[in-house]
Amino acid sequence: MSESQKIENNLNLSNKEKYNLDPKIDNFEEESIEAPRYGCALSGVYASVLGLRGGVPILHSGAGCGIGHLFGTLYAGGQAAGGNEGGTSTPCSCLVEEHVILGGEEKLRNLVESTLKIFNGDLFVVISGCVPSLIGDDVDAVIREVKNSDDYLNNEHIDNNPIIHVNAPGFKANSFEGYNLFLNAVIDQLLIPEYENKDNKIRSESENRNISKNNNKSVNIFGIVPYNHVFWKGDLLNIKNLLKNIGIEANIIFSESNGLENLRKIPDADYNIVVSPWNGHEAVKKLENKFDIPYITFSGVPIGAKQTNEFLRIIGDKLAIDSEKVESYISTKEDWNYRLMEYPADAIILVRPHSYFAVAADSTYAGNLTKFLTNELGYLPDIVQITDNPKVEYREAIVNDILENLDSTVKPDIVFEADTYNIRKNLENRPFLFLLSSSLESPTAIKDFGALHISVSFPVLNKSVLVKHYSGYDGGLSLVEDIVSSFVGPL
Amino acid sequence: MCAYTKNSHKNSCKRRKIKKLLDLDKQTCPNREQRANGTNVYYGKASDLLEDAKNGNNLCSDRKFQQSGGCVLNFYLANRVTTIRDAVVIFNAPVGCSSGSLGYRELFRKVPTELGRPEEYNSHWMTTNLQQDDVVYGAGQKLKDAILKAEKRYSPKAIFILTSCTTGIIGEDIEGTVYEVQNDINATLVPIHCEGVRSRLVQTGYDAFWHAILKYLVKEPEKKQKDLVNVASMLSYTWQDRLEIKRLLGKIGLRVNFIPEFATVKQFEQLSEAAVTAPICPTYTDYLSRGLKEKFNVPYFLYPSPTGIANTDEWLRNIAKFTGKEKEVEELIKEEHERWVPKMDKIKEEFLNLRVDGKETTVLGSLGQGRLVSQLPYFDELGLAAPAAMSQDFDDLLIDELENLLDTVGDFDIMVNTFQAAEQANITQHLNPDLTLTCPFQGGTWERDNNVTRIHSLRGDADPWSAQSGYAGAVAFGNFLLQAFKNKSYQKTLSEKTEKSYKDWWYEQEDPLYFVEKGK
Repeated sequence: MSESQKIENNLNLSNKEKYNLDPKIDNFEEESIEAPRYGCALSGVYASVLGLRGGVPILHSGAGCGIGHLFGTLYAGGQAAGGNEGGTSTPCSCLVEEHVILGGEEKLRNLVESTLKIFNGDLFVVISGCVPSLIGDDVDAVIREVKNSDDYLNNEHIDNNPIIHVNAPGFKANSFEGYNLFLNAVIDQLLIPEYENKDNKIRSESENRNISKNNNKSVNIFGIVPYNHVFWKGDLLNIKNLLKNIGIEANIIFSESNGLENLRKIPDADYNIVVSPWNGHEAVKKLENKFDIPYITFSGVPIGAKQTNEFLRIIGDKLAIDSEKVESYISTKEDWNYRLMEYPADAIILVRPHSYFAVAADSTYAGNLTKFLTNELGYLPDIVQITDNPKVEYREAIVNDILENLDSTVKPDIVFEADTYNIRKNLENRPFLFLLSSSLESPTAIKDFGALHISVSFPVLNKSVLVKHYSGYDGGLSLVEDIVSSFVGPL
Repeated sequence: MCAYTKNSHKNSCKRRKIKKLLDLDKQTCPNREQRANGTNVYYGKASDLLEDAKNGNNLCSDRKFQQSGGCVLNFYLANRVTTIRDAVVIFNAPVGCSSGSLGYRELFRKVPTELGRPEEYNSHWMTTNLQQDDVVYGAGQKLKDAILKAEKRYSPKAIFILTSCTTGIIGEDIEGTVYEVQNDINATLVPIHCEGVRSRLVQTGYDAFWHAILKYLVKEPEKKQKDLVNVASMLSYTWQDRLEIKRLLGKIGLRVNFIPEFATVKQFEQLSEAAVTAPICPTYTDYLSRGLKEKFNVPYFLYPSPTGIANTDEWLRNIAKFTGKEKEVEELIKEEHERWVPKMDKIKEEFLNLRVDGKETTVLGSLGQGRLVSQLPYFDELGLAAPAAMSQDFDDLLIDELENLLDTVGDFDIMVNTFQAAEQANITQHLNPDLTLTCPFQGGTWERDNNVTRIHSLRGDADPWSAQSGYAGAVAFGNFLLQAFKNKSYQKTLSEKTEKSYKDWWYEQEDPLYFVEKGK
C-alpha cells in the first residue's frame, strides 16, 4: 500500500475503529488461530515459577505439559534448558483416564508430599492445568491437608517451605496473563498480613511510608515475563544496575538466587515500577490496595539513551532522588553512548540509512523498539504488529504511546494480531527492509519480504539468550550492533 | 514355559505373538497397555523382564513422585506431525498444547538445499484455541471453522486434527465434525486420537497416528513399486542418517519413502505401493508395518535397525529379500565393509587404549525401547560394555528382539522409566558408568562428576559428524563417542558449580523406584 493510499484509507476512521479497540466487538483472539506467539495460562505460570530461583513448579496436569513447554516455552524463550526443575524434571501428577473418572486429588497429595521430600527448593507452586479444572479437583483442600499433615510438620526431609496454588487451566488465558495469575497468587497466598506477626517480614503501612523518607529507596520491577520476554534475564539485571546508579535498590524478583526472599520483600518497596503496557498492572494495583505502595507504569522496557534518560528522570522525580545525581549519571552515559553510536555511522549512512522497518513483537517491546529505531537511528516505521494479545482495555494506550512519540513524519500502521498467517499477510507488499519479530520469520524473511531479520520477540529459537538485552544504554547499542551486523560488509 | 537361557535357540520358544488384526473400523487404536502389555516401570535384569513379559506379568504402575515425562500428544506427536508438508495440522485444544511445535518453520531450514532439502516447502499448524466457553458449550463449530479456514488459506492435501485432554474429557465428537465437513473441502481430514490422558505410555501416540494414517490417508495402490522401501524417519535421526540410508539403498537400485517427518501427503498415500516397510525403530513403526501388511499386503520386518555394522548388514539383507536384490546386496556389503570396517577397527583400538586396568569401558544409555535393542549390539561392536540401560517403556512387541539381544550381548540391568529424571539421576549415581548417554530432554543426569553426552542428535542436523545410521553413521558415532572422552570440562564444571536438584538422601538411598506404587 502506498503512503497516500494508507493515509486515505485511515482518514475517516477513529482510532477506536481503526485499531479494533472497542471491547464490545473485540474477541478475535478467542477464535482458532495459527501458530500464536504465546503459550497458555499454565505455561505462563510455569515460566514465572521457573524464572524464580528456588521456585519449584508442581504441575497438576496431564504428563505432557512440562515437556511440551520445555519445547514451547523454555527452548522458545531463547534456547533455555529446563534446569533442575524444568522440562522433564518438573514434578507432575501425570493424570490419565482413571483420574478423570475417580479424581486426581490423591495423586496430587502424593505428588506434593513426595516433592517436598525429594526436591531442594524454597517455594513450591502447584499449577493446576486443564484436567483438574474439568474434573473438579479441590486443589486448595489438598494443599491445606498436606500443610497440616504430620509429615509436613515433622518429616526430617521436609523444610516446611511455603506451598501456593495457581489455578491456570490452559483454556483460561494466555501465557502473558499467566504471569499476572502467578503474581496474584503470590500476593494473596504468600504476602499475607498474618505472616508479619510471625517473623516480621511484612511491615505495617506506617512503617512502609517511613522508610520512603530515609535514603534507602527501593522499588520492585514488574512487567517482564520470564522466558516469554526472551531477554528477561539481561533486561532485569540491567534495569537493576541502572537504578542502582541513581541510588535506588531494585527488587527484580526473578533470575536472582534468592527468589522467595525477593517475593517476601515486595511489600517493603517504596514504589512499584511496571515496564510493560499491561503485564503486571493488576499486581501493582493490588499491591497498592493491600500495602499502600504507589506505582509508576511505563509503556515498555526502556531501549536506548532517550528512553532510558526519561525512565530514570521519571523514577528519580517520583522517588525524590537528587536531580543532580540523576543528571550527572545521564550525561556521563550519554557521552559514552553517542560516541559509540558514531562508529557505525558510515555503514549506516552508506548502506542502509532512513530505511523502512516492520515490527511484530509483544507489546512490552514492540512500541519501544519502534521508537528507538525511529527516534535514534532515523529509520521509518512501516507497520507495528502487536502479537501478545494484550487485554482490550490496555490497547488504546499502546497505540497512542507509539503514535505520539515518533519523530518521523511517517507513522506506522498498528495492528493487534496473533495469527501467524495474518501477521505474514500484513507484511506483504510493503517497503520495509528490516523485520524485527520472532524467529518464526527468520528463515524466509529475505525470500518472502526482502527484509533482513532480527529476532526480538517470542518465540526466539535461533538465538541463545543469556545476558543479551536491549534495555538501557548498552541495550540500545546492542540493538544497533544487531541491525548493522545484518547488512554490513566491506565498504 | 520358555525361560530365557543364554543358549536357547532363537526359535525354540516362540512367545505370544501380537497376532490380533488391527481394527481400522474403530476410531482409534487400543492403548499400548492393552495391545502389548506395555509397562512404564521396571528395574532389574533384562532376562527377568523378558520372563515377566512372556508370562504377562508386566503392568503399569503409578508413582507417588512423578515428573513430566510426556503425553501421547506432547511432545511425541506434536513435534512430528507438524513437519508434514502440504498439510495443515489443527490442534483441537487450548492454546498451550501446540506451543512445543513453534519450531516448525525453522526445523529443516538449516539443511542446505545441496543436501536435498527442497527450496520451497510448506507446513502449517493452527490451534482451535479452546476457551472457557467452548469447554462449557462444546467446540464443534470452532473445529469446523478452523478446518474451513485451513482449507481456504492453504488448500492443503490433508488436514490432521490432533485431539487433547480437554476435547477428550468434554466429549467432543471429532468424527461427527469430520463427517460433516469432509464433503465441502478437498483436503483429506485425518483425525488422530492423542488425548494426553488416554494412556500412560506415550507410544500409544505412535499407534494412534498410524491408525489414522492407515484409516484415512493411505490409498489403494495404483501400481506396485518394486523398488520402493518405506522407512519411518524420526526426530532422533539426522538428515545425514537419511542420506546414508538413501545412499546404501540407491546403490542397489532402490528408492526410499521416508515417512512421517518432513514427508509430503503423497508419500503417505503411496505407502501401499512399496515393496517392503523397513524399520529404523521397531516399536515406532510396528503399527504401520502390520497395518500395511494386513490391508495392502506390503511385507515388513521389525528387526534389526541399521545401527552398527552387523545390524546394517542384516537390515540390508532383509530389504534385499523383499526386493529381489539378494545378489546385489552381498556385493554392496562387501564394498562397504572394505571402506568402513578398517575405520571401525581403528576406533575399536582407540577404545581399547582407553581401558583402565584392562577393564571394559562402560556406557549407560538412556534410550527408547527401539533404540535399546539396536544400539546395545553396536556398543558391543565397539568393545564398550553396557552393563545397564535405561528405556523409556517396554512392551511385548519387543519380546523377540530382547531375546535376540540377550543372545548377542548377554544379560544386563534394565530400567524402564518413561523419562523419569529423578530415577535416572539415582541410578546413574549408583552405576557410575564411564560414559552416560542422555537425551537432554530427560534432565537429571547432568548432575554427576562424570561424563555425559547426547544419545543422538536431531532431524535438522545436517553434519556428517552427527550421523548414526548405516556404515557411515557407525563410524561417525564411534568417533563421536571417542571425542566424548577427550574433554569433560563443561559437564564437570557445571556439576561442581551448580546446585543439585534433589536432596542428598535421594542420591544416597539405593532404590530408584522408591516412590513407585506397584501394579495398576
